[in-house]
Amino acid sequence: MSEDLESQMRAALRSVAPSEEFSQKLVASVTSQPPAAPKARRRVAGLPLLAWWSSAGLAACVVLAVGIQQHLQQQRLQQSGLEARREVMEALRVTSQKLNLAYEAVKSQSTSLTDEQSGA
Amino acid sequence: MNDDSTDPLDEQLTKARRGERAALTLLVRTHQRSVYSLALRMLGTRDLAEDLTQEVFMQMNGNLSAIDSNRHLGFWLRQVTTNRAIDQLRRRARVPMTSLDEETQLFSAEEASDPLLQRHLQALLADLSPPARAVLLLRYQEDLDPPEIARTLDMPLNTVKSHLKRSLESMREKTMRMQPTRCEGSSYE
Amino acid sequence: MRQCISLWFLALLAPALAFAAPNPKLALPSFSALAQKATESVTITLDPGLLGLAAKFLDSSDPQDAATMEVLKGLQGIYVRSYTFDKDSAYQQSDIDAVRSQLAAPGWNRLVETRSRKTHADVDIYIMLDHNQAIGLALIASEPRQFTIVNIVGAIDLDKLHKLEGQFGVPKLDIDVSKGTAPPAKREPAPAK
Repeated sequence: MSEDLESQMRAALRSVAPSEEFSQKLVASVTSQPPAAPKARRRVAGLPLLAWWSSAGLAACVVLAVGIQQHLQQQRLQQSGLEARREVMEALRVTSQKLNLAYEAVKSQSTSLTDEQSGA
Repeated sequence: MNDDSTDPLDEQLTKARRGERAALTLLVRTHQRSVYSLALRMLGTRDLAEDLTQEVFMQMNGNLSAIDSNRHLGFWLRQVTTNRAIDQLRRRARVPMTSLDEETQLFSAEEASDPLLQRHLQALLADLSPPARAVLLLRYQEDLDPPEIARTLDMPLNTVKSHLKRSLESMREKTMRMQPTRCEGSSYE
Repeated sequence: MRQCISLWFLALLAPALAFAAPNPKLALPSFSALAQKATESVTITLDPGLLGLAAKFLDSSDPQDAATMEVLKGLQGIYVRSYTFDKDSAYQQSDIDAVRSQLAAPGWNRLVETRSRKTHADVDIYIMLDHNQAIGLALIASEPRQFTIVNIVGAIDLDKLHKLEGQFGVPKLDIDVSKGTAPPAKREPAPAK
């Protein structure tokens, strides 16, 4: 369940691209700046080395993982679709209930007017 | 600190240090998506995200000599982007996350994306403190593991794990609620 | 000369017209303070993406689903906020004023205004028209222990809404939109509060 949720969050949080207009503006402003003079090289906190590779096994794992992720994503989409459908029904039910209130008031008023007129 | 990586962009980095504009352009184009997305989801509005993205890359251009490899560049950009975003958020009054009603696209617009999950995620991001938000984004957007996140944010590893655990729990709680927002024990007339 | 004056007049008017383009989507407040007091709250926000997603899960062979699919065609959003309290007058009319004030803007026409002494419910229904086509509907229902706001955005087909009668209990309102705004229903005296 936790892995499912994590994979969904990864999918939802895939990076988004800026607009092309901004991108061009960004490149223009960065490249128009003269490069800084080289500073003395300093060590920065090290990065971990790349892990070992196992080509065939890794490829198979990747394919399997992608397949599972897609399946879980499809399941999640179905759940979301059913929830959205429920919300639509609920929204229309609430709307109709309140429309009915108005209808009852109008009907009641019409009945009273008719009674008054026939009684006069 | 360079490793034995054969990243082709390492050569572009060397050229960019020499002032070659094409190489610099390539580096910006390669990393802009990641930087922009981090900025956008941290700060919540496109304008602020674009400003921060520009500042980060301008700073990068001034510090290329201190960056050893493309991989190091990625680390540096994530670190600077998240730290500057956290600083901004701390300096200002709380910047509200963009509501779903507005046009800014915080999430991917792909067909397969889940709009309900996105809504829950947006609510979660809005609730998190800036450091916790950064942890979440570095984990699920940038796919860093907890020790890498701890190094990027200069944060204790246990704090990173704690933020992740709480965020997942909160997200799980939000997604488990499959009904429209409703308190128990009442019914309509 | 006359043409020049007309063009000049239109040129002056154009920015105002462009600026004042009516928007059928209401800016709904968060009502967070009221939600905390409420015993039950319903918050539904269905934007075009979610409506599209929901439509995919409707069964055309089911009469209710089929009627719903017809209503959803052309809709851009459905927004519902409804709060129920455990005592009378737990909310103030001023809490809803931020929404009412938007309905006083150009473009919105009050279609129905009812005040019921029997149910103590006040219901106002507004509609926004564009060339005799309904493009927005807003409903505010105030009851002693509940208030509800509904905003529907998009090409609302009132005939199709009528056809929901019997599915959700939607009544026929007998309002002909083609003739323009109907006069408001005659008011009953407001109940003493």
